[in-house]
Amino acid sequence: MNKVVKFFKAELKKTSVLLLLLLALSLANLGCAGPAWRGWSGFASQDGVLYFGSMDGKVLAINPSARSQGATFPGEGEWVFKIPTVGAPGGMCGPLGCAPAAPPVDVYATPVVAGDLVCVATYADQSGKLVAIDRLSPGYTEGVPLRSKGEWTYPSGVKSIGAIVGSPVVVESTLYVGSSDGKVYALDAVYGEKKWEFNTGAKIWTSPAVKDGVVYISNYGHKFFALSSTDGSLLWEIELPAAIASSPAVSGEKVFFGTFDHQLYAVDHTNGDVKWTFEGGNWFWSTPVVKGDVVYAGCLDHRVYALKASTGEEIWQFAADSQIVSTPVLVDNLLVLASESGKIYMLKVDNGDSERTVSIGGPIVAPLYAEKDTVYVHARNRCVYSVNAQSGEIAWKFCYSDIK
Amino acid sequence: MAELWNTIILEPVLNSLIALSGLLFGNFGLAIIVLTVIVRLILLPLTIRQTQSTKVMQSLQPKLQEIQKKYAKNQQKLQQEMMKMYREAGVSPLGCLWPMLIQLPIWIALYQSIMQALAATPENLLSLSQHLYSWAAVGQAVPLNEHFLWLRLSRPDPNLILAILVGGTMWVQQKMVTPPAVDPRQQSMNSMMTLMLPLMFGLFTLSFPSGLALYWVVSNIIGIIIQYFITGGWGYLRAPSVPKQMPAQKTAPAQKPMPAEQQSKVLKKASEQSKTIKQASEEKKKGLFRR
Repeated sequence: MNKVVKFFKAELKKTSVLLLLLLALSLANLGCAGPAWRGWSGFASQDGVLYFGSMDGKVLAINPSARSQGATFPGEGEWVFKIPTVGAPGGMCGPLGCAPAAPPVDVYATPVVAGDLVCVATYADQSGKLVAIDRLSPGYTEGVPLRSKGEWTYPSGVKSIGAIVGSPVVVESTLYVGSSDGKVYALDAVYGEKKWEFNTGAKIWTSPAVKDGVVYISNYGHKFFALSSTDGSLLWEIELPAAIASSPAVSGEKVFFGTFDHQLYAVDHTNGDVKWTFEGGNWFWSTPVVKGDVVYAGCLDHRVYALKASTGEEIWQFAADSQIVSTPVLVDNLLVLASESGKIYMLKVDNGDSERTVSIGGPIVAPLYAEKDTVYVHARNRCVYSVNAQSGEIAWKFCYSDIK
Repeated sequence: MAELWNTIILEPVLNSLIALSGLLFGNFGLAIIVLTVIVRLILLPLTIRQTQSTKVMQSLQPKLQEIQKKYAKNQQKLQQEMMKMYREAGVSPLGCLWPMLIQLPIWIALYQSIMQALAATPENLLSLSQHLYSWAAVGQAVPLNEHFLWLRLSRPDPNLILAILVGGTMWVQQKMVTPPAVDPRQQSMNSMMTLMLPLMFGLFTLSFPSGLALYWVVSNIIGIIIQYFITGGWGYLRAPSVPKQMPAQKTAPAQKPMPAEQQSKVLKKASEQSKTIKQASEEKKKGLFRR
């Protein structure tokens, strides 16, 4: 009681000071909030080795046969490469602690293999870079690419472009990528020299799709573009009511993508005319998967929809236990799907019936990757899982968080 | 608990902010300004009540100090006398506390909404999807354009402009409501607080997203305007920081209890003052709304 009285005795000034300090504390908490590990790179594969960006700023090459035998890392063909940071040494200190001058490097884009190189797109706060690494063994010395191995970075030196979230695509020795600076870059994949660039005018966080000499890409300014792959000239563009959330998938005469107003679009690949739309319960975030006349689209409303590619008519839908962030894969007659909570579903492509379900230890947001019957999963707990789609068994698990 | 907070408070504020941004040509900076104005207007009656209570409480200070000195050794009697004084003056010591407590969750929700809506990283954007309504205006507005004037709203302002504005406006607001204290210790604490808080928030501005700092500036400016109209001027901003010691006060035996007659006079005066302030603020309020 005494304390209460004393409290009431205090003037408003003191009370307001207390409340403001409380606010400041809650603000400090907000400022500190954030995921511990960032990035959601999928896998690229060549000569039996998987390449991917880790959730702690590294690129890894892992050999599935070495992993299945439980060999010590690194085994044959395996390596780990710390992506060099861009920025001056030293740090800036504020009231809530010190921030390093060079922001941490994250990898959201799935790497791509081009000849003897594996190309990784980086995200470091506002800046990004393309880093081409010798895929047999990285030759980088103190962050500088080894020219004799054909390694390169774009842009070279300490220069950078906007941060990269969408995965690069390589077609006929040309690498295409979109950047947060709003530009689409086409680079020579062997030498890392720029062939052309196209400014879309707004941030790009999605991947391009390239088919028959046309680069399809969207930006967060509600626009979708078709560019000539040879010189980057604009073939056509469309503006939609909402921004485009997913990367596009091209099949037949249509381009499929999801938007932030819960729609899945099918547009004509020659002029961008909208052929049909389908409404889901949330964003269609993952890239649609198309096979024959069926589009499989994972949605953040926890569902995957199978739609007729020609009409947009729903064939079936399946409800998972949580959001579907990662892009699903097709393995024979199965659609393999991962929910954010860490469950992997094997669904019959004909009717969406669940054949089997596997639960792994960590959340899944990175796209799945399949080779024959094996599905590789890069989970949020910094582990890679090899799952047999036919049996549903986890063949092996490799946690790179253990690597020193 | 977190889910309840998200459903009842955070999500309505977050979605309104994003929808507002869509209506204001995709300008998130303008949306922050407009929403801050709307929220402060909704809370205006509470702000007015708070200001009234503060004024009355301040007018009771001499009497309060007197009672404290008089019954320093008898806590129970002190409480009784204090309650009696508050009752007679027609104010509740909680009167100035409740409005602040009610406003607090709304401010925190606004902070959180601004941070979440800006979705600076891909993970932030993804997690935003869990808090959005299926309103067309919301779907069409995300992801938000973070550019406003010279600012990137999800990043701290690289210039000192916003930090100075936050600190400056907060100092003015603090100064307007802080009465000069007679007690030198109280006075030095007051001046330290008046200086420390703006300085602290000014420093926060250097490391927080400028969208939040923009909200602080707008909120402070509105606070100053409301204060100006309710109290009818710049308040203690113009008053000297240390009041001149009255000779009577100097010589007056501080320990000597006030005669009963004088005590009742002070109380009567406070009560009258309370009524006058209430009447005046009612008129001001009407005037304000008319405007």
